[in-house]
Amino acid sequence: MQKLSLREMAYIGVFAALMTALGYVEIPLPFSPVPITGQTFGVMLAGALLGSRLGFLALAVFDLIGLVFPVFAGGSGGPGVFAGPTGGYILSWPLAAWLIGYLTEQVPRPSFLRIFGANVLGGILVVYTLGVTQLALVAHIDLLPAIAKGALPFIPGDLIKCAVAAVAAQRLAAHRLVPRQAGAQS
Amino acid sequence: MLRDITLGQYIPGTSLLHRLDPRTKILGSILYILALFIVDDLPGYLVITVFSLVLVALSGLPWRYVLRGVRPIFYIVLFTLVLNFFLTPGRVVWELGPLKATEEGIRLGIFMGWRLLLLVLTTSLLTLTSSPIALTDGIEYLLTPFRGLGVPAHELAMMMTIALRFIPTLLEETDKIMKAQMARGADFETGNIVQRARGMIPLLVPLFVGAFRRADDLATAMEARCYRGGVGRTRLRELKFAARDYVALAVSVLLVAFSLADRLLP
Repeated sequence: MQKLSLREMAYIGVFAALMTALGYVEIPLPFSPVPITGQTFGVMLAGALLGSRLGFLALAVFDLIGLVFPVFAGGSGGPGVFAGPTGGYILSWPLAAWLIGYLTEQVPRPSFLRIFGANVLGGILVVYTLGVTQLALVAHIDLLPAIAKGALPFIPGDLIKCAVAAVAAQRLAAHRLVPRQAGAQS
Repeated sequence: MLRDITLGQYIPGTSLLHRLDPRTKILGSILYILALFIVDDLPGYLVITVFSLVLVALSGLPWRYVLRGVRPIFYIVLFTLVLNFFLTPGRVVWELGPLKATEEGIRLGIFMGWRLLLLVLTTSLLTLTSSPIALTDGIEYLLTPFRGLGVPAHELAMMMTIALRFIPTLLEETDKIMKAQMARGADFETGNIVQRARGMIPLLVPLFVGAFRRADDLATAMEARCYRGGVGRTRLRELKFAARDYVALAVSVLLVAFSLADRLLP
């Protein structure tokens, strides 16, 4: 792996902290006991803003923190969460951010549709494929009830989140926060 | 509101679990999870349950506090129980309309739910009995042998430390931005789901802009102080295994050996 510059490390560390803060931003849903949290926004924006390499690392560092600290939404964390029924979602995040980053960095100024599409593929497809698989394995249930419980209730909300995250990513790109292949100045 | 949240549930203390090396506790937790997923019958579960309860007792923490950690997974345990009761094929023992609970299902459901409860209960002891700094150090030490494979151990630990340092700052900032936007008329509390999701934009944009600015400042400050990365860097705290750590690790390995025996022997 290419050595990380100090500036890249700072971005990754602060982004992982940002993920924790986003876990406390909740939109309660009227029809589900599980609220929408800001952390999925974080995963999508990590890919779109930091790019594939840094996005992957930011979420990997966040997961590593979650291995020992309660940083996931709702204040959970620890090795038990990874082995538990919801561990697949958490483990899928670095991959999701990588894919979103990869798809959006193909063009210099990605359009709304491209970011939205990348968010759907990474933030929904990758996350739920891994998440539901682990849910089914750990809770020892069939795939269909696992999808009904672990994916379907969230997908409408997640599609909206994909769109909102794409809008936010475009606005943030205008701020030129991160040199996409970062570390140029350091 | 957001400011009330304290990260880390670490409760300082002097119990045996508190004094163990953080590496021992991390490795021990992983071995424990392994054993928990291997055992598959009543005696196995009973032994592991007794083991878990002994650990909680050794931690010297109030039971009430440890049990509180189990609350978030209550629904998932319930869901596991119910689905396994009714969806496992086997001898029907109870019928409720079209739903048929089977003997095998009840057995399996109870074991699975029990396993999830123990999983969360026991692994929460890790964060309850170790300080954040000890845990980060522990992870860095544990990752160091993998440096040859391209795992940047020191860098990962440094990024974790940066993240932990900034979590309270960013929580406070999130709170501040929410209040500032509400003062400008932003509405985070009402409307349908689309409106609420869109309401996140005025929160997300300033939050990210601020966070990246902080990251930039931090990098500049570290450069100005000649931070050079992990090579040749000395540490304030050196981790050292004591006799109790070897004993604890041996007990963890024995637990895994027991669970294997439980699984393989009839």
